[in-house]
Amino acid sequence: MDLSRRKFLKLGAVAGGSAVCNLARPAAAREMPDIDPDWYGMLNDSTRCIGCKACMVACKKENKLPPESTLGDAATFGAPLYDSPRELSEQTYTLIQLHRDEKTGAATFVKRQCMHCADAACQSACIVGALKKQKNGAVKYDAGMCMGCRYCMVACPFNVPQFEWHAALPSIRKCTLCSETRLEKGEATACASACPAGAITFGKRSELLKIARARIAAEPERYLDQVYGENEVGGTCVLYLTRKDVAFAGLGLQPFGYKPVSDLTESIQHRIFQYFIPPIAVYGVLGGIMFYNQNRKRKAGTEGGDDDY
Amino acid sequence: MTIKALPLRQKFFTPNVFLLLFFMGAGAVFAFFRFFYGFGSVTNLSKAYPFGLWIAFDVACGVALAAGGFTTAAIVEIFGRHKYHPLVRPAILTAFIGYFLVGLAVFFDLGKYYNIWHALIYWNGTSVLFEVAWCVMLYLTVLGIENLPNVVEQFKDNVHLPGRLARLNRPANWLLHRLDWFCGKTMAFFVIAGVVLSFGHQSSLGTMMLIAPYKLHELWYTPLSPLLFLTSAVSVGIPMVIFEGTLAAKFFGRRPETELLSGIAKYVPLFLGTYLLLRLGDLAYRGVLASAFDGSLQGNAFLLEFALFAVPYFLLKRRSIRRDPTLLFLCALSVILAVVLNRFNVFLIGMNMGPGWSYFPSVGEWGVTFAFLAFGVLLYKIGVNYLPILEAEHE
Ligand code: SF4
Ligand code: SF4
Repeated sequence: MDLSRRKFLKLGAVAGGSAVCNLARPAAAREMPDIDPDWYGMLNDSTRCIGCKACMVACKKENKLPPESTLGDAATFGAPLYDSPRELSEQTYTLIQLHRDEKTGAATFVKRQCMHCADAACQSACIVGALKKQKNGAVKYDAGMCMGCRYCMVACPFNVPQFEWHAALPSIRKCTLCSETRLEKGEATACASACPAGAITFGKRSELLKIARARIAAEPERYLDQVYGENEVGGTCVLYLTRKDVAFAGLGLQPFGYKPVSDLTESIQHRIFQYFIPPIAVYGVLGGIMFYNQNRKRKAGTEGGDDDY
Repeated sequence: MTIKALPLRQKFFTPNVFLLLFFMGAGAVFAFFRFFYGFGSVTNLSKAYPFGLWIAFDVACGVALAAGGFTTAAIVEIFGRHKYHPLVRPAILTAFIGYFLVGLAVFFDLGKYYNIWHALIYWNGTSVLFEVAWCVMLYLTVLGIENLPNVVEQFKDNVHLPGRLARLNRPANWLLHRLDWFCGKTMAFFVIAGVVLSFGHQSSLGTMMLIAPYKLHELWYTPLSPLLFLTSAVSVGIPMVIFEGTLAAKFFGRRPETELLSGIAKYVPLFLGTYLLLRLGDLAYRGVLASAFDGSLQGNAFLLEFALFAVPYFLLKRRSIRRDPTLLFLCALSVILAVVLNRFNVFLIGMNMGPGWSYFPSVGEWGVTFAFLAFGVLLYKIGVNYLPILEAEHE
């Protein structure tokens, strides 16, 4: 008796386990994001950037952001002397970084900002939906909705969203694609308008892809035959071109896969809560076991049934 | 059920209580800076480590360590092992305190804490965090209800409010009788609901960091993570009960419940075994076992985590070890540390946000975490002192 019950329990555990395993297996069926041809975006041609940082200045002006100095802060110098951020921050939405190729030693300037992903990880992760893809392609942040949980920062594969670490009531800050201040008035982004070297092209994503392809076709010995952001993490609205001998990874643009990063979490969530059937089923099974045990106890008329499993 | 649970009614202000209050006071100072001068003034959090000790320990571990509540409730009420009934009330009380503190810790960790209620009205179904938040809220409510009978039992027909408030005695008593009736009728429903919510919640915490495939180390980035979080939480349920039971006996000068604790400990290897099987199977199936031995911080953290899980599994299989209060306690402690380290690994140590970034909790972060722990212990002490939680000692 003891043995058979033990066996039964073990079998039950295995069966239950495999049922949950099945739940946890990602559904392959999650669709790839639809990409709207009307989304706006930017094409950053790293082969054209001269590192003048005019785009950074334009961005700071547009968004009324203070300068950040690596020489010392206001406390040490009376005032920041010089805008020289090292990283994206709550005061720097876009940044020019210099990357040096290990082999050739060639220097490349690369612009950083929010990629305005097609299937944005930040949007998928945000608990209240404070980050949302807009019709014009911008991923917009709503400070009034945000709870400040910073899960979007964990989720974003490009580490874009920044938190105001020194504010009593902090918000998330990131590039807006000038959605409200300029796009709605039919103007291009501030950074693209400011670039003197034609390294930033503003336009519809579908058009930008065509331009990028045309540039590669016109100068195949100059460009690497790949547009970064066309497929990476499901596609982004900010696209990149690079020199033939410099891989995107050498520019700090990681070789991400083509699936959105939220692929796994969303399919697990979906499986576990599909029409609430799994939780209700677990509820039913547990209820049945409880009912059975209580009935048995009542019949036995004792506190019994406490034998070993 | 011949033995009744009774309030301890011991002297409250012992030196230990002052120690707890000291920790809470220190935490409050750090909290002041966090709330008025921003996270930067107390924490070591950065753009690369937006989640730190407060999320990893106060929330992720807090939830896992509250698992004593639902596992004990399931074993006793659902699977009918009524012998262990005396363990249910303390476990449910601890779970309630644990979840209450998790809620409080979340409040601390939210930049815009005043928007915490937004989780109720703005729903984003794709967010794992959304599901986590709802389970915390619902399960905390359920735990509150599960603790109601203790209050009812203590004060029913026994309300003696002082002075002018005495007028409220009758209505309060009427309310308690209603509650008593309500609890009697619906408790079964809430007990099962508590277990189902815990299942959902524990597993969702395992889903959380899967949003970052390029940041979380491959030893922990697995689609099986929700199931691993769930089974490890189930495994740590009974060890938590053993841990608390042993400490409570020591600090309140009661006889240890070795009989009961070593009895219920026999289920632990069953749960731990299931977990270890799944964990090893997953690592082997994904072919990443090698990276456990590459000598990196992550690899070593994994090995330590695994050892802390595996050693008590083998030890607790032996009856003689389960019957030895000290060894039993140490085994329980090992499982608890294993789960804590596992959550740390997933939320912090296994997260690589790129070169040049590192994180170690600041004094302020430790301070606040200790304050939470102290507050939890204090609440437990208040609970067992004034409510019928622990059963009278049987001779
Ligand atoms: S780059 Fe990051 S912040 Fe920007 S849309 Fe993509 S996931 Fe969101
Ligand atoms: S910090 Fe704000 S925007 Fe980011 S996930 Fe949390 S609620 Fe959403």
